[in-house]
Amino acid sequence: MSASTSSQRVEFQERARQALSDVSLQRAMAKARGGFVDHRRDAVDALPEFDAIRDAARDIKDHVLANLDGYLELYEQKVIENGGQVHWARDADEACRIVAKICKDAEAKTVTKGKSMVSEEIHLNPVLEAAGMTVVETDLGEYIVQLAGETPSHIIAPAVHKTREQITDLFHEHHSPLGYTDRVTQREALVNEARSVLRERFVAADVGITGANFLVAETGANVIVTNEGNGDLTSCLPRVHIVTAGIEKVIPSLDDLSVLLRVLARSATGQEFSAYTSLYSGPRRTDEMEGPEAYHVVLLDNGRSRLLGGQYQPMLRCIRCGACLNHCPVYGAIGGHAYGWVYSGPMGSVLTPLLNGFDQAMDLPNACTLNGRCKEVCPVRIPLSDLLLKHRLEQHDRRLNTNFGRFLLSAWAWLARRPRLYQGVMALPLWLMHRLGKRRGVLSRLPGLGGWTDSRDFPIPARRSFLRQWHTHKARS
Amino acid sequence: MTSARDEILGTLRKSLAAGDPRTLRRLEELRSRIQNSEPQVQPRFDDDLLTRFCQKHVTVHGTYDRISGDGIEAAMVRYLAGLGLDAQWHLGSGPLLDETHWTDQVFVYRKGADKDTKVALSEAFAAVAETGTLVLCSGPAVPSSQNFLPDDHVIIVDGRRIVRHMEDAWAMLRDSGAASGRAINLITGPSKTGDIEQTIQYGAHGPRRLHVLIVEQT
Amino acid sequence: MIKIDKEIKSPINVGLFVTCLADLMRPQVAFAAVTLLESGGCTVRVPREQSCCGQPALNSGDRASTTEIAKNVIRAFAEDDYVVAPSGSCADTLINKYSTLFRHDAQWAGRAQSLADKTFELTSFLTEKLDFNLEGVSYPGVCTYHDSCSGLRELGIQKQPRKLLAGVKGMALSELEDSSVCCGFGGLFSVKYPDISGRIVSDKCAQITQTDADTVIGGDLGCLLNIAGRLRREGKRLKVFHIAEVLAGMTDGPAIGEGEGET
Repeated sequence: MSASTSSQRVEFQERARQALSDVSLQRAMAKARGGFVDHRRDAVDALPEFDAIRDAARDIKDHVLANLDGYLELYEQKVIENGGQVHWARDADEACRIVAKICKDAEAKTVTKGKSMVSEEIHLNPVLEAAGMTVVETDLGEYIVQLAGETPSHIIAPAVHKTREQITDLFHEHHSPLGYTDRVTQREALVNEARSVLRERFVAADVGITGANFLVAETGANVIVTNEGNGDLTSCLPRVHIVTAGIEKVIPSLDDLSVLLRVLARSATGQEFSAYTSLYSGPRRTDEMEGPEAYHVVLLDNGRSRLLGGQYQPMLRCIRCGACLNHCPVYGAIGGHAYGWVYSGPMGSVLTPLLNGFDQAMDLPNACTLNGRCKEVCPVRIPLSDLLLKHRLEQHDRRLNTNFGRFLLSAWAWLARRPRLYQGVMALPLWLMHRLGKRRGVLSRLPGLGGWTDSRDFPIPARRSFLRQWHTHKARS
Repeated sequence: MTSARDEILGTLRKSLAAGDPRTLRRLEELRSRIQNSEPQVQPRFDDDLLTRFCQKHVTVHGTYDRISGDGIEAAMVRYLAGLGLDAQWHLGSGPLLDETHWTDQVFVYRKGADKDTKVALSEAFAAVAETGTLVLCSGPAVPSSQNFLPDDHVIIVDGRRIVRHMEDAWAMLRDSGAASGRAINLITGPSKTGDIEQTIQYGAHGPRRLHVLIVEQT
Repeated sequence: MIKIDKEIKSPINVGLFVTCLADLMRPQVAFAAVTLLESGGCTVRVPREQSCCGQPALNSGDRASTTEIAKNVIRAFAEDDYVVAPSGSCADTLINKYSTLFRHDAQWAGRAQSLADKTFELTSFLTEKLDFNLEGVSYPGVCTYHDSCSGLRELGIQKQPRKLLAGVKGMALSELEDSSVCCGFGGLFSVKYPDISGRIVSDKCAQITQTDADTVIGGDLGCLLNIAGRLRREGKRLKVFHIAEVLAGMTDGPAIGEGEGET
């Protein structure tokens, strides 16, 4: 067991423990949990074709992945035809350098951002801030976590872990100097205050950076889906629009886009369609009175190309809807930050080790009950829990798990392969535990079982195992 | 030193076991798949398009009025009066709006919206009955800022341009050469956010209210 | 108690895959399974050469150990017409997971497939392979049913237990909100991440106590031990039974997690 995996393990467990004892977080998560699930179920129940559309969505993504090089080239051609520029970034550093250079060349002072998970993935904000720019997140949830000095804890609900009271405090602290001295507490007033503060930022911004839900090869458009309209204000108003997107985001045609849009909003929020689905293709045309003067797309690899053709390729189908997070009992218990990186929940537990290696993510594939609900709700049918199991097999094959754990496991497995011996060996502890707990039926402490009995009792085993009883009985009769 | 582009594409090809020699032919195959793209699985519904559009539009918190082609100004004045607003707005462009002669009872501004814009009137390229969605395209006299900055956004749509599915709108866009236009905004209801306590609040960054004027030809 | 009115080839030779939890923790579940199968016209054999399905090893990523354990299980049940397990989770391992272990071993892959083809979870075997009527079994009380994840999602077990429970006299079923959400057990997960597991099972128990049920029933002992352990810790007096015990009328003794003399 290497030092890094050891400390990482402690970190995950520690973060999870903190999350579990964070009263505000637990209150916010409890409030959020049911809503997403119920809304999705209602939306799915209302669409008899949902499963057929999911199959089609999966097939489109598989087709793209099998031809990703070609579709990227076709997409690139279209962007150039539209007057835009395409940049390719092998990794996070390269992507940050490209974006920073574009911003510097544009002499940007204020940069607005529409929700972009890729910009979180590459840790863009500190780079731009170090270059003297003011970076403003404009998705209300991302704005809230930015004020709190945190990162999003959910792909589509970045501030899901924050209570209204915490948001009130944050707004009061950060908006008072701007003249908003009243402490507002109601939801509507909070939204209005943010609207009014961010409006100034939108119109002041020199550069707007957005993510892309999809890149359409047919037209060269980046597609951005929001409910707030912040993605559009970020795309339309500044002099320069930069799109940051993973290379797997390209899709062939507008008709393919329809299929994916039909599963995206339903899976994410239970809406049939989000308020704003926008396709942006290139800079202002010569006859137009507005629109950005320059349009850049930064295509990020950052480990994605390695996944093609391998057993984890299905993960590249992910459309970042967040359904797997919303349906994951572990995510529901600990929230997104415990996962330690930008992607959390089941998709994060699969993706983080693939993009960053196991060094920082030993726990993620293991901190899962393999209940399979993520796989069940995935709009592009990624077998998430199966992929988590593949991670575990790989960890074991590469001897990354602890020696002690391996020893216990192999000792147990050795015994399990020798049923008669197994039955004999189990007899004593069985008898002992039964003896100790038979009056109450449970043991309140069982030191050998990790912290199992910290939060629940351990029902005692039988005095004698079934197989012993059965075969003794049979031998007698 | 190889460029990032070549290196990424190279890794992709290696991972996919698809060598360069096949690339040109493959590109042609992919291009032809795009060109021959067709609608796939679509939700079935039997309602007529106008009914379905209105029903879906109301579901997402929109309001609407069915009017005739010469009643646009009156409908606007009526709607704004109902909100206690003056009869002035930022004006977009389109076949219906361009033909409208505004009386001197109203003020229209033919320019992009700014942060203090109260009302804008735009014309939709088409509307989609499936989801109650309005399709707006940017253009020389169509500033897309009008779609996002006003408090109140009114969109006029020709009733004959309500199509069944999203794909029907794509087909119209392709036919008119607008598919690669700078901005295509699909708008489904007013701006909203669920970021505070996962409870919907309207008027996040964009319009607080969305009103549609459906022009029915007699 | 189970009346057969379907014409089936008889006798039906069933090998009982006891499952290690039923074997060690709750033998009555296995006795109940035998009773149900026998009254359904089956001849039940219990191979001595069985221990665990290997799931703890597989879920820990140890393919080699799992493969060896799988071979044991395949050998042990080679002669039976059917293999029945009182657990959706273990049945899923035999049915869906073993086949993934022998991708490069055609002979064993074939043997794994024939085991998969004849293996059933108990309630699905009773409802799908035997045509039955449950007679003379009663359980007075309000019950709620927890759907265990592997059985539900990998084997499609949801209607089967409810259909069987509908035949129990005196029982009212009060459905649990989110009955298909994981209870937080997850085998070794609950040992490796006891805090997270503890939170999930607390939430599950909070939902259970929101029903008017006095009894929790399920088809997988792992989940039931987890739920019973948490209910006991909270001082809740709900009874917890495996569905086989209820169907076989073996509910007079202590429920799961109950002490002697508490009934």
